[in-house]
Amino acid sequence: MAKTKQLTKILSGKIWKFFGGIYPEEHKNTSDLPIIELGIPSLITLPVDRHLGKGGEILVTVGEYVKAGQPLTRPGPGRLVPLHASTSGHILSISQQVLPHPSGYTGLCIVIKPDLLDAKVDPQPMLNWQHEDPKVLLERIRLYGVEGLGGAQFQTAAKLGSAIMDGNTCSIFIVNGCECEPVATCDDRLMQEKALEIVEGIEVIKHILKPKVSLIAIEDNKPKAIAAMKKAIEGHQDIQVRALPTVYPSGAARNLIKIVTGIEIPYDAHTSDCGIVVDNVETVFAVKQAVIDGIPLIRRVVTVDGESLHKKGNAWVRLGTSVRFVLNAFKLNPERRQRIILGGPFMGFTLPSIDVPITKSATCVFTPSQKEVPLASESQNCIRCGRCARVCPSRLTPYKMYALSKASKHPEALKCGIMDCTECGCCAYVCPSRIPLTMQFRREKAILHIIKDNQKRTDVIKERMNAKEARLKEEARIREEKKKAALARIAAQKKLKEQGGAPAQDNDLAARRAQALEGARARAAKRLENAQNDSKAPLQVNKIVGALPETEVNQAKDEVVNLSQELKPTSKIVLNLEATKTPKSQDPQKAPLKEDNALPFSLRRGAVPKIAQIQNPWTEPQIIDKGSLLKVENPPLEPIVVAEVKKPRYLESWQEQKEAPKLPKALKLTNREQH
Amino acid sequence: MQITVQSAKQNLGIEAAPHLHAPMTTQKIMLYVLIALIPAYGTVIYFFGFALIWQFLLCALTAYILELICAALRSKNLKLAAKDLSGIVTAAILALTIPPLLPWHLSIAATFFAIVIVKQVFGGLGMNIFNPAMAGFIFLVISAPGVFYSTWLTPAPAALKVATIDKTAGVIFMGDNPKVIYDEIVSLKENPDVLTGATFLESIKTARKAGTVNEIKTTNFTSDDYFAYLCLAIAITVGGLFLIIFKIILFQMPLAFLLTVGSLGGLWHFLDPTASISALEHLLFGGTMLGAFFIITDPVTNCGTSKGRILFAILSGCLLILIRINGSYSDSVAFAVMLSNAAAPLIDVLTRRRPFGIGYRKGGLD
Repeated sequence: MAKTKQLTKILSGKIWKFFGGIYPEEHKNTSDLPIIELGIPSLITLPVDRHLGKGGEILVTVGEYVKAGQPLTRPGPGRLVPLHASTSGHILSISQQVLPHPSGYTGLCIVIKPDLLDAKVDPQPMLNWQHEDPKVLLERIRLYGVEGLGGAQFQTAAKLGSAIMDGNTCSIFIVNGCECEPVATCDDRLMQEKALEIVEGIEVIKHILKPKVSLIAIEDNKPKAIAAMKKAIEGHQDIQVRALPTVYPSGAARNLIKIVTGIEIPYDAHTSDCGIVVDNVETVFAVKQAVIDGIPLIRRVVTVDGESLHKKGNAWVRLGTSVRFVLNAFKLNPERRQRIILGGPFMGFTLPSIDVPITKSATCVFTPSQKEVPLASESQNCIRCGRCARVCPSRLTPYKMYALSKASKHPEALKCGIMDCTECGCCAYVCPSRIPLTMQFRREKAILHIIKDNQKRTDVIKERMNAKEARLKEEARIREEKKKAALARIAAQKKLKEQGGAPAQDNDLAARRAQALEGARARAAKRLENAQNDSKAPLQVNKIVGALPETEVNQAKDEVVNLSQELKPTSKIVLNLEATKTPKSQDPQKAPLKEDNALPFSLRRGAVPKIAQIQNPWTEPQIIDKGSLLKVENPPLEPIVVAEVKKPRYLESWQEQKEAPKLPKALKLTNREQH
Repeated sequence: MQITVQSAKQNLGIEAAPHLHAPMTTQKIMLYVLIALIPAYGTVIYFFGFALIWQFLLCALTAYILELICAALRSKNLKLAAKDLSGIVTAAILALTIPPLLPWHLSIAATFFAIVIVKQVFGGLGMNIFNPAMAGFIFLVISAPGVFYSTWLTPAPAALKVATIDKTAGVIFMGDNPKVIYDEIVSLKENPDVLTGATFLESIKTARKAGTVNEIKTTNFTSDDYFAYLCLAIAITVGGLFLIIFKIILFQMPLAFLLTVGSLGGLWHFLDPTASISALEHLLFGGTMLGAFFIITDPVTNCGTSKGRILFAILSGCLLILIRINGSYSDSVAFAVMLSNAAAPLIDVLTRRRPFGIGYRKGGLD
């Protein structure tokens, strides 16, 4: 293998620098606390919008019993993975629930009521993965629901696949253990505890990608993780650990590639297309579990930190667990207008509700007190100090983009490079005037998307208009020609008449008319015949429902005959019957999709109306075990300690005065006498 | 569960990411600039007398009140305007540049021009095109040159003893003759040097035009006459270093500016001694040092990127030497800075940044 100059430099351990970056306070208080197991919550909410897509379907119905690790959806084609149940229990509802989104949007979710037994689907380990085809492994990774767990939630199999498909070759595989985000320590802890498994995961990915070198990049503020990984890679020749200087945002894929390899990949190119693949350590761990252990991705590590908590730490959280349950387990003692930040203080967002599920993209839950992270103050005028331009890792000029965006100069803002903004938040962090730059850029991007969509739409409309105009012109031209011809004919006839000759063409015309009449009659006859054939359709039932017992076929025949007598479109009903009468023993995953797709959407199996009504989750007592129903939202194992607030003395005396019984003297006396 | 805006606002705090912020704020930046000016103020008061304090108080009070009035007229948040120290910074720099014994109405006029016309009319803090302090200075130079040049003082050690609070107040507010204080300060010196003008640059102005600069005897900065300028330069440098340490200004800017002024001035002196004073004199006299650390580093009227700022410093250095040698005013920092301010947007366009990943080749590795 011929090593290029750049590759030699990379192999020698050179570390490059990227432009900009900031050094915020790290807040990494939880890196020494082991990852604990969080219990099973009383409800599991699993959003399906990333797992369904076009042509996907939900495999379960309300009331069905599912086991942990059982696939709940079959996604359509594209970069989608199936959804897995994260614990065993009954499906309570398939309805619209609040999603983890800064605006509190709702989306279709599958809600599971756990039976607390946590029965699992038997793991199917792949024993001889070393000898399997990479495509088989990729399919395995996709089917086991592995997605990027670093925060972007990009589908891993698609990422790995695009690096080896279409003649691409992968030269460098980087495991991202930087975790530059303050507060988050989940990757740090995972590297400390599961170093060997991560290395196994790297081996699996190496088997798929066959890279020239694999690098584990860790920031140097995690010495324990570096030591653990160094120990774990002993004996593996082509895996190296890189300790990188601590700077935010070194964990962003393009910045990490710049640091480790010195290559700047523009934002309009894919990192995997140029032979470099970056994956988070937790993703690598999930790949190992999917391939070697045969366990689908149903849980992830979440860092829970903040001064408002009585307890801090990292926890294995089942996907779909509500943030409320997590905060309960860590004993949140909220202050007034407590901010609950999902996903780190830089890239995360404040939640409008805590009854939202933990998804694959949630790295940490941060609940700062106002002392720890002061409330955002009002922004002032920009003084063009240039700090934002000095820290921007994408080498943009945020002060300029902000001014243009505020002035609604969208094309100029686009030209200024707003689409290269990764929303890392460096500019807003350093801004001395506290201008919400990142927020404005997010808004500007959304506006630009709308403008682009509108532009597309107007383009399509224009095209159609042009086509229509051309068609109308053509029609007008033909009409004009016909008219001319007709006029010429009439003129000729007139001429003939004037000359006194008999109209010779009359015979011709009559013959043509008779021909047209005959043609029309033939067509009508054919149509009639077709209609009669259609009414004989029940004969096809035998062909389609051949697998069914005879009695059922007869029944079906009768039904179809009845229906056909009522003159309804019969062929569709036959298909419908077939769909409803498929024996249930048949595996739904293997069922042919073709007939289903032929049906209208509302009749497909497992289809859910677009705007489903929120079902009352407590209306099906006969399915659910009554013992578990008695349980309210999981109570914390240890009693909640409420610190007693000492009242100031003047308040006390006032209250005492207020509470003192204002009894007349006589009554008081009687009381005393009684005692 | 339904989430409404109302419920969300009542229950949980909602904020835009990022949630962490660097400790530096605009108010702090302004405060640090004021603190950095203290050594320069001390030195000026020692060598030029108490008049500077009067000028500072006059300018600062005017600036602050005008800022508040403008904020009220533009219906801005008055609380924020009251916290804003940028007007006082402008006033402090303006007070340091104008003649110490300038009558009070001219100081107020200059401040009014700087704050209202140059700053607030353009949109307030951060929106002005020209440096307000320098604009106020130029406003005075052009509109009242007679008074302007007659109220300068020459420095002398312990001038504070002569130019006392009462006397300077008399000159500034009551219209007493400034010549009295001037003569008293000159008499403090052991061997009073005869200068035709109040300041060195003023006195060589005629020599400059006649092309006889080389006939003026060289200045000895350790002597009584010029020791003040050396001390002032050191004091300003100390303040500038303070700003550099707290990362309020880029150290490359004053460095580039001083190097440009020194080298260009020295080169000119070497080629044509009849037209230019020496490099050291260029650096220490006039407002070169103040300009290097406090005036060209004004972020608002500057370029945005670091590269642009260094170019800006070099441009203003070149203009400074050009105007100082060929112009008809004694000092030229203000003019040089104003012209560079006008050129700043152009420099911004010229130093546009290359986008991320411009040297990328398909395949990544070479």
